[in-house]
Formats: sequence, C-alpha cells, structure tokens
Amino acid sequence: MNTLVNLEQVQKRFALPGGHQYHALDPIDLKIGTGEFVALIGHSGCGKSTLLNLVAGLLLPTEGIVLVDGDRVSTPGPERMVVFQHYSLLPWLTARQNIALAVNAVLTGLGREEREATVEEYIRLVGLQHAADKRPAEISGGMKQRVAIARALALHPKLLLLDEPFGALDALTRGNLQEQLMRICQEHRVTTLMVTHDVDEAVLLADRVVMLTNGPRSRIGSVLEIAIPRPRRRMEVINHPSYYSYRSEIIYFLSQQKRIKELRARSRAAVGRHGLEKVNLEIGFVPLTACAPLAVAKERGFFARHGLEEVNLVRETSWRGVRDGIAGGWLDAAQMPAGMPLWMSLGGGDAEPTPVVSALTLTRNGNAVTLHQRFLDAGVHNLRDLRGWITENSDHPPVFGVVHPSSMHNLLLRYWLAAGGIDPDRDVRLQTIPPAQLVANLRSGTIDGFCVGEPWNLRAAMEGAGYIVATDRDIWMGHPGKVLGVREPWSRNYPNTHVALVKALLDACRWCEDADNHEALRELLSRREYLSMDPSYIDLGGEGAVADVATGTTQKPRLDPVDAARYQCAHHRFFLAAGNRPSRTEHLWLMTQLARWGDVPFPRNWVEVLERMCRVDVFSTAARELGLDISYQRGAIDLFDGVSFQWDDPVGYLNGLAIKHDVYMAEVSLTRRDQAGPGVERAWSDVAAAA
Amino acid sequence: MSATAATVAALTGRPRLGPKIDLPGILSTLLPGIVGVVGFLLLWQLLSSTGVLRLPGPWDVWMDERSRYLILHPFYYVSDLDQGLFWQTLASLKRVAMGYTAAAIVGIALGILVGSNPFMNRALDPLFQFLRMVAPLAWVPIALAALQRNEPAALFVIFMTAIWPILINTAEGVRQIPADYINVSRVLNLSRVQFFFRVLLPSALPYIFTGLRIGIGLAWLAIIAAEIVMSGVPGIGFFIWDAYQQNYVSEIIVAVIYIGAVGLILDRLLGLTQRRLVKI
Repeated sequence: MNTLVNLEQVQKRFALPGGHQYHALDPIDLKIGTGEFVALIGHSGCGKSTLLNLVAGLLLPTEGIVLVDGDRVSTPGPERMVVFQHYSLLPWLTARQNIALAVNAVLTGLGREEREATVEEYIRLVGLQHAADKRPAEISGGMKQRVAIARALALHPKLLLLDEPFGALDALTRGNLQEQLMRICQEHRVTTLMVTHDVDEAVLLADRVVMLTNGPRSRIGSVLEIAIPRPRRRMEVINHPSYYSYRSEIIYFLSQQKRIKELRARSRAAVGRHGLEKVNLEIGFVPLTACAPLAVAKERGFFARHGLEEVNLVRETSWRGVRDGIAGGWLDAAQMPAGMPLWMSLGGGDAEPTPVVSALTLTRNGNAVTLHQRFLDAGVHNLRDLRGWITENSDHPPVFGVVHPSSMHNLLLRYWLAAGGIDPDRDVRLQTIPPAQLVANLRSGTIDGFCVGEPWNLRAAMEGAGYIVATDRDIWMGHPGKVLGVREPWSRNYPNTHVALVKALLDACRWCEDADNHEALRELLSRREYLSMDPSYIDLGGEGAVADVATGTTQKPRLDPVDAARYQCAHHRFFLAAGNRPSRTEHLWLMTQLARWGDVPFPRNWVEVLERMCRVDVFSTAARELGLDISYQRGAIDLFDGVSFQWDDPVGYLNGLAIKHDVYMAEVSLTRRDQAGPGVERAWSDVAAAA
Repeated sequence: MSATAATVAALTGRPRLGPKIDLPGILSTLLPGIVGVVGFLLLWQLLSSTGVLRLPGPWDVWMDERSRYLILHPFYYVSDLDQGLFWQTLASLKRVAMGYTAAAIVGIALGILVGSNPFMNRALDPLFQFLRMVAPLAWVPIALAALQRNEPAALFVIFMTAIWPILINTAEGVRQIPADYINVSRVLNLSRVQFFFRVLLPSALPYIFTGLRIGIGLAWLAIIAAEIVMSGVPGIGFFIWDAYQQNYVSEIIVAVIYIGAVGLILDRLLGLTQRRLVKI
C-alpha cells in the first residue's frame, strides 16, 4: 500500500494574547495509505480537529511538514475535501446548488452537461433526489450531512477529511449514514481521515484508530489496527470476536487519559513523617477477593499503625491500569498479578522495561478455570474431555478470557492446556478482558471460558453462566496469586516506607487469614469502593468447606456447579508467614512461563534479574520486626502433570517443554535511567512529557 | 395542507368551498389595528374639543376648507411652491432617492472593505463611530457653507444620515460570515469574484438589509428636517414650515399624515425586497 498522507514531526502552536503560546500538538508522525480509513479519536481539546485541519491545509504546521501524495500541503484544496461537523452548506442555496457550486468551481475541465450529470449522480448516490431542490433549512440534519458528503465526493478528492461528521445526529440517522459512508468509501476506494469521539463509530468504520493524548502537547498515544474484514455491517461487526476487545482498548485509552488529567491536578509532593520518607501513598488495586489485604490494611488501620497515615487506594478496573499507573509513576505501589513485576522489568507488551520489585506475596490460590454452561451439557468435565471437544470441533476453537498476559491466570491456564496437549496459541484463542467483564462476556457467548480469581468463578456458577472445570488444586496448589509491586527506584528512594508498607500488609494478611474475621471481611469487600457486589458472591472458604472433597483431576465428584465452585475451589490463602516471602523459585518459574509464550525474552542474566526483583531483604526486615518466623527451605515446585520445576536449570526446563512459542534469549539490561534524584518527581516529569 | 383541510371537512361534515377566505382570521388580525386607530382619533377629538390641546381635532381638519382641499386635491399644481401634497412629497422623495442611493452604494462598498480588512477596520472605525454621532441637522450649516446651494446640501445631509447604519451593519455582516463558509470556499479554492458573489454577499445580505431599513427611515426623517431649515425648496418639509409660518395648523396635520404614511410605505417596500432577496 503506498502512502498517500505523510505527517512528519508535525507540531502546532497557537499564539495566545499576551505573547503566550498554546502548544497544541507535539511532534506527530502519521502515515495514511491509499484507500485506508483512519479514525482520530481523543477527548475534547486534544487537537484532533487541529490535526485534521493541518492535513486539509486550513492550518499550517508550526514545525514539520504535511505531505499529501508527495506534495507539501500549504493551502486548502479540493483534492483534500473536508466534511465539517456542522455541514457547512450555504443556506441560501438548495441542496443541488450547493453541490453544483463545488462541482462548477472545481471540475472546470468538464463541460457544462458533464458537470450537471456529476451533480445528479452524487445526489442519487446519497439518495436525495426528493430533496435536491430544498434549502438546508428545510431538510433534516442527516440529509444536510448527506448533501455535504455528496458535495465532497462529487469532487473526486484524493483524500476525504471528516470532522466529527455524525456528531450532531440522532443515533438512528447516524447508523444509517455510517453504513452509507462505508459503502461509498469502499466502492470509490476513497482514502479517509475522520475525527470522531464515538468509539463504536471508530471501530465500525476505521482500518486504523489513532488515539491522541490529552492536550496541551497532544501526541499519538496509541494506534489500533481494526482487523475486521470488509464489507462490514453494523449488526455483524458487533458480533465479531474482536469487536469488544477493540472497543475496550479505545475506552481504556480514553478513560486513562481522563485519569491522568485528574491525577496531574493532584499535589504529588512526598510527605515524610515518623522517620518514613513518604506517608502519602497511592496504592493501586483491582477489585477482586484478592485485594482483601489492601482493603483491610486501609479500613482496619494497619497502614496508619505502621505510620502510613495518608494511604489512598486507587481502584483500577484492569491490570493494565495498574501497569500504566506504576510505569507512569502516579501509583506508588500496587497489588499485581504474580508475573507482572518480571513482565514489566523485562519489557513485556513491547513496552520500555520498567524495573519493578516485589517484597511480598499477598495471596496464594483463589483461581479457577470456568467454562460456559454448554460445555457441561456436552460432557466436558476435565482437561481430557476438553481436548476431545476441541478435536471434534476444530473449526470452532474456544475463546478463553484472561485478565492480563502476566497474570497467574493466563500462565496457569496456558500451562494446564499445554499439559493436556492443547496449544494455547493455536488450538484455542486467548483474549485479554478485565476481570469484571468476564462473566458478562461468558454469558453473552463472546468467550467460552476464562481463568480468573474469585469472586468471578463463583459468580458465574451462581448466575448459571458457567461451571468450574479446574481449580488450583488441579494445577498448582498453593501457587502465588497477587504480589506487592513497586518501582525499583521508588524502593531505593523510600526504603523505610517500603518496609513499613510490607509490615502493614503482612499484618493485614494475618487478619484476613483468621476465619473469625471472615464475616467482617466479606462485608468489607462487598462495599462499593471494593468489589461492590452482594456478599453472597464472596466466599472465603473457612472451616470444613474443602476438607471432604476428593482431589485429583480424574475422579472429581460431580457436584452441582455452585457447590463445586464453593467447595472445590482452593480458597485464597493470605497469610503463610514464610509463604508470604517473595520466592525466587516461583518467580523463576513465572519467568520461564513468560518466555515460553513469547511475552518476554528469557534473560541470560536471569540470576541477576531475580535477585533484583525479589526483595527478600525488605520482606525479612519487615517480618523480623513483626516477630514472625519465616524460616523456609528452598524446594522444587511440583505441578499437576508430574513435572517438577527445579531452581537450577531453567533453560533446560524450557527446552524440555513440548508446546511452546519460539523462546528467545537475551541479555536484559535493567535500565537505571531514573536512578538519580527523587523518583516520584522524576517519574512525574516523565508522565507530563508523555501525556 | 389540502389533505388536512379535507380531513377537517370530512370530520366536521361541512362541504368544502372553493378558494377559502378565512374571514374570521383576517378580522382578528385587522380588528385590533382598526380599534387602535379609531380610538386614537376619538381621544384626539375629545382632547381638542375640550380645549386641553390647542390643536384642531380630526373632524376640524376635515371641515377646514384649506386642509380639505389639500386632502381631496393632491395633484393640483400652481407653482413650484404651491402644489398638491403628492407633488410636494414626490419632490422630497426624489431627493431621498438620490441621497439614499448614494449612501447605499458607498455604505455597502465601504462596509465590505472595512468588514473584510482588519487593518482598514482599525483605521476607519473610530472615524465612522465619531461621524455617526453627529446629528443630521448639524450637517445642514456645514453643507450649506461647503456647497453653497440648497439642493446639493440637502442631498448631502441625507447621504450623511443614511450611510452610517448601512456601513456599520454591512461591515458587521461581513465580519459575521461563519468560519465554516469561509473554510468551504477555501477548500473549494473559490476565486475572489466567486467568493464575493456566492458566499460573502448572500451571507452578509441580512445585515445589509437591516442597515438599509434603518437608513431609509433616518433619511426620510432627515429630509423633512433639512427642508424645514433650508427654506425655498419645494418639498413636504418646506410645505410644513410654510404652513406653520401662516398658522395653517390643519394643513400641517395633513402633511404629517403624508410623512408618516410615506415612511411606513418605504420601510415596507424594503422589507418586501428583503424577503424576496434574502434566503437565509
């Protein structure tokens, strides 16, 4: 595909009264191929219309250049025809005259009759024969926009520029026009750049969605390819398996932009007190039963008891939000899936490596694999049954939801599938979906199953949407679930705060583990600011709940799905003293698994990476100060398939795995770029520059 | 419309008549006006017959021989200064037509210049704002001193009075052309001439007409005042002055009715033209 539009290092500043400048666009690089449909999306004032006007030539860039078809854009021209949000029809001319004005002014090479024929052709194209002789005031908004589109298309522009074309229309009209526009653009192979604030419109129409960060100094925050085949139809597109992930990708970006704006407004100076370097902490969490230690530490005063008097828990809806908050520096610490510290340190998700350390394992267990109810009807009761089902229905590979590439759920699910001879990258499809959306996706049939922590497995069972096919005890009993993660520079700058944080959370973990507190804990977790759901969905196990249920993958008693969810599940363990220690063996296993599925390279310097990531020293100091016995023995990890994982030969272990992605090895240099200076301030300037 | 009427007819069971004359509708629009006028005349008659006003009442105006002659013979002609009120009014109207046309041409042209050129706007706006504050009558001595003769001086006064609202409204109209229209013409690469006739003029037209309507009213006001001051020129203003000198109050009243009526007609004529031309 050859490039039609090429923006190189385009910046735009506007002069303000008093000699000030408004820096609207930071350097923007964007290429649009011939025939491509690109949507620009962002919050109001993010400069998306400015960008469009730069391409149109209505504005000139302060720096950089805009090339269309190889020519520098310096004036507006009809080959880059614009359709404005407010139609911009001349009210004293009829629909036909409006189109004719443009055609006569631009297509001067044609004879009079040809021009008239062109006008008629495009009136027909947008289906406006009946209103051609009406003036704009006499026709509806949708018809006006159709006239504007006809006027634009009649000029055979190389590039069609649409500035929120359907923003002022009612939903029904908008839907119809979107389909018409899509059809016309496809038939005429028009290259299109459209500004919109409507996420569904962007996903429906565009080949690529370019997301702009908030202004001032907007830049391209992210680009999303929409790989939905054309021709697209509105009602069919929403059933496309990727539709909702595209949609949530954009919505995530937009809501993140909004939060950055809010957080920027907050004062961020470190408040030191009681010998701690920083007592005002923003701690991120995702509402799951596993967030209990954080909630308890806050509500039961464990933070305050250890001197952390101004802790603010930041509720994120997805793990990605946690990742971005830690990487961006607006979170001090966060509850993380066990694999996330390594994943971030090694540059997972094609991001810049951000060294993250962990000094505490917050929870163990609490996860399960849930399948859609129809698999139960099909007789799928275990891994072998599932494999049989997949072999029989190879044209419909099941789709599984996982919450994050680095989460234990993803890794356990993949391990479990692979152990059963199912390649998680070929025989099934895995899709990242935030925890709270999994049950709804399962019920709607967008996904066929998921692996996630409580309360979502129990909830799916109670709502009759699915049933549990495997639990921790079927895969790896006692695996680490969530850990505490902070950026390495943060830990270096606030060492005493880090110890105090671990102490407060260890205290909270101990409180959570006590079955006498479970009733209070369920009530606490059900609150609005945490899980915000009925306590009946939140099960913490407790006495006798699991004692009698036989274990083992093959001879599982066929319980009612809800009972199974309640009693078969390996419930969360919050406090195990030595078990809360960040275990290097476990993280090494995580490292092998992340590398196994191609998320990150396996570091040749894995010993160094693990030593730096697992802050056993911080944990030990905290535990000693609390008077805990944390003696332990390093041992192998025994998983359900009988493969034992040893600490000493990870590469040999990786090589011995049958089902895996191409594993690549690399020397990973843990960056030290923000080592100097107070970390938070540094990180903040990074955020400001990034946003 | 006709479908609705048919439905109504069907519903009420009344046969539908040919071209329908909405008599009650017409009455209801006209009646208040008629009541107002009659009431005013009665009040006036009452006030003058009780001696509160030292003016002849409407009945006295009709009964007065001179004024009745004027009313019944608008077209008589004796000399330039002694002719029917139609001719007197026409003489004034001719002057207005000339002065006003000049004001409209110059006003619209200058208005477009000032409205579309920020530099010219900054250069000329203070001057215009200053000049527009000068009362029409204050121009009379200056005009007479400068031009020496009554006729061109009268035209000058009309011109100076009518031009400001036209100019200022036109300039505003040009400034108010929506950015969208300008962007459209830029994207279409319209030539200057095309832009002027296809976009600028139609877009500014409502403002221009507002200016023209204000201007015609002011011009008509000014000519009466000017003719009163500049004696010896035929016209309705001088007629009033002449009648006043000879204490023919009833004649003045008849002339005033002419002035009011003509002013009203002028305004309505422009309004009609506006409705024809302006399509926004």
